[in-house]
Amino acid sequence: MAFITGPMRKHVNGHKELTSHAEVVKVDAGSKVLIPLINMGSTTVEVLVKEGDRVKVGTKVAVRNDHFKVPLYSSVSGTVKGIEKVMHASLRPVDHLAIENDGKYEEEAPLKPIDPNSASVEELVDFMMEAGIVGCGGAGFPTYIKYKGIKGIETLIINAVECEPYITADYKQMHESLNELKVGVSTMKKMCKAAKAYVCIKETKKDFIPTLIETFKEFNDIEVKAVPDVYPMGWERTLVYEVTKKRYDKLPSEIGVVVNNASTAIAFAHAMLCGMPIVKKMVTVSGDAVNTPCNVEVPVGVSAAEVIKACGGYTAEDVLLIAGGPMMGKTITSDAFVITPYSNALTVLKNTPVEQVPCLRCGKCSDHCPAGLQPVRINNAEKAKNIDALKKLDVMSCIECGLCTYICPSKIDVTEGVRRAKRYMSLQKK
Amino acid sequence: MKFTFKPSPNYRDTLSTGRIMMELTAGLLVVFAFTLVLYATNADYGASYAIRAVFLMVAAVVTACVTEILWCLATKKDILSTLKSSYPWVTGIILALMCQVNIDVYALIASTIIAIVFGKLVFGGFGQNIFNPAAVGRAVIFASFSGKVAADFVTGATPTSTIASNGWLVANNSINVILDQFGGLGNLFIGNYPGAMGETSALIILLVGAFLAWRKVIDWRVPVTYLATLFIITLLIGTLHGVGFWYPLYHLLTGGAMFGAVFMMTDPVTNPTSAPGRILFAIGCAVLTVIIRIKANLPEGVLYSILLMNMMTPMIEKLTDGNQIKMMKKNLVSIGIFFVAGVAIACACSLGMEAQEISGPSVQAQGNVYTIEAKGYQGTNVFEVEVENGAVVRVECVTFEDTLGIGDNATSEDYLNSFVGKTLNDEFDIVSGASYTSNSVIEAVQSALEAAGK
Repeated sequence: MAFITGPMRKHVNGHKELTSHAEVVKVDAGSKVLIPLINMGSTTVEVLVKEGDRVKVGTKVAVRNDHFKVPLYSSVSGTVKGIEKVMHASLRPVDHLAIENDGKYEEEAPLKPIDPNSASVEELVDFMMEAGIVGCGGAGFPTYIKYKGIKGIETLIINAVECEPYITADYKQMHESLNELKVGVSTMKKMCKAAKAYVCIKETKKDFIPTLIETFKEFNDIEVKAVPDVYPMGWERTLVYEVTKKRYDKLPSEIGVVVNNASTAIAFAHAMLCGMPIVKKMVTVSGDAVNTPCNVEVPVGVSAAEVIKACGGYTAEDVLLIAGGPMMGKTITSDAFVITPYSNALTVLKNTPVEQVPCLRCGKCSDHCPAGLQPVRINNAEKAKNIDALKKLDVMSCIECGLCTYICPSKIDVTEGVRRAKRYMSLQKK
Repeated sequence: MKFTFKPSPNYRDTLSTGRIMMELTAGLLVVFAFTLVLYATNADYGASYAIRAVFLMVAAVVTACVTEILWCLATKKDILSTLKSSYPWVTGIILALMCQVNIDVYALIASTIIAIVFGKLVFGGFGQNIFNPAAVGRAVIFASFSGKVAADFVTGATPTSTIASNGWLVANNSINVILDQFGGLGNLFIGNYPGAMGETSALIILLVGAFLAWRKVIDWRVPVTYLATLFIITLLIGTLHGVGFWYPLYHLLTGGAMFGAVFMMTDPVTNPTSAPGRILFAIGCAVLTVIIRIKANLPEGVLYSILLMNMMTPMIEKLTDGNQIKMMKKNLVSIGIFFVAGVAIACACSLGMEAQEISGPSVQAQGNVYTIEAKGYQGTNVFEVEVENGAVVRVECVTFEDTLGIGDNATSEDYLNSFVGKTLNDEFDIVSGASYTSNSVIEAVQSALEAAGK
């Protein structure tokens, strides 16, 4: 129905070639790592170790302890040094557990490996929770929640789309861990009892699709599905609609769908096979202001500064340092923040000035909004502080994907205007 | 080392408003260039018309820019940056393309000033205006300066003024009288006939429009919806009155329907921002175009339909506000109701009409004195024209059937005498306020001159 809604998506230049075929660089932790004591905005985290304690790679050091349970693990071996408040990748100061690295990387497998074929679904869900598996697409949502007591699922969608520009971490991770991907996907499919699973990847990844098909050849109910190279194809709603042609109100489970990221499946399989939770991450370091764009394999808790240094440092004096991709990632004004269990990219861009001109009401933002909103109308209603209009315009459905700012030919910060509207709405409700 | 904060996203498409307006300008100039080629290669027109067209274009563009600069000086704004983000020349070009080549240059300059100032600047400049500025300018010309043309026999009657004087509905057996005058439907498509400088060639407008739509400069939904709706309505009206397939085509190809659809209704500033809103807007324009044409006997239905729908834009925006996924059904229903109601109303407006039988002016020669019956406003006026050596010697009105007190201004002795000495290549005046009657005079003189030349 693009005639009356617009295409609701857009091809963007991904610059994936910068890193997709570059060698993966292994980055070691420095003398200290900082484990962020936060998950998805919740800082209700209980610390399980105290200053002076000795920890190993894989020691459980803390656990998120509210309605979700997410354990956090040490990524190095060494001594606990206490708690520090540092800027986090979500752009707020957060408590971090400081661990002095002894450089030995002594391991302690905190989990007993589990056989996905013989284990029951309940055991697998418990294992998933205990392993601290979170959505590795960037959100960090505890994965076990999607599988706990779930019923009526027909389709499992594995999201390997990676629609953010510059990022190739999932692509690289899949390259290196085909067996884990296979085990992870088939186990997730078993856990949600879906009849069919789709591994979705952009149709432009022509070199890799045959490998994926080969990997899943033995399963006749797991299909590799090529999807268009558009943004935000990797957003849950857009991807579910592309695969099933159905829309849902709040959660995809309403229409019998579970969605997980490919690297989440790999992390899960890795935990099942080796008993090791997420202590290392594949992170894309790219952009036009970093010396050697590449993917790095880096322990959780290592600072962005150390990672960028390993990639040859910055190439400009004034940069935008983005935790994540340039569309949804936040710019952070210091490179002291650290890699989290769900980080997937650092994008470094030259800070080039943007010249704005008046809005010509072209409507491209409304045409392309993947949520079906009208950013130009929302911006106008926000300026007029018209709360009724904002309600009618369904402002709170905005996911801040950034496509409206991206596409605006007048170079207006449209997304930021919608954010202002959302903040205004929230304040009015209180 | 500096880490700058900027709200996400920090990634921009290459398409800019500046590029959109430059490509639109280029598209308009291609249409204009095609017109110049038509003029230069047309035996009746020739290079002098092409030069005059260029002169008019320059006048309109310069006036538009100078007006904007003076406004900047008066309001103490930075001239260069305002000009760069206000695009006054686009209004100038569109306005010039909507005028006939015989328009008085002062009329064009005056209306350009009004278009820029009252059509755009008083609302707060580019992006804030309610009405399409060029349409405002053209409406001013139509309302105030319609007599200010250097009329001659070559640029005289246009397809729309001709069919408008016959009530916009002509019987099947009479249409060739009109079509032959303009080289048939094929020539209406190519555009080699008298009319506004940029509006005649459907061919080049469609080509440029398709290119601009592909370049995302204009929204393809608007022209497609408009032309489709216009076609359906006029096809139905034609069928209702037993008129052939030429009828909807005549509506599409003449009177700036193509030009308006591609270059004016797509003006993003003055149409709704949402996709369903734009569809409603285009349907509204099509319905109003037909109603104005058949009910008001005006050749300018397209222009006024755009101005009227510009006024409706805020209302349409409100109607289609909301989450477009959740609103899809409601929007489809709105579009459906609006379309059916609009088509029905337009067709109902045509019910009282009758397809008119017309014939060209009948010419009877007695030596070098020609007696001509030519259709006026209400009835048929009869003239005697005496011709010698290809020039008029005497014009006399024998029978007058038009409105007394209005039409007879055009049969006054002074006016009729103004034709004395004229040849087919000369210019003449028309009497404003009595255009139908003066057209009958002109037609009579032209027929006599042509008959004498044979």
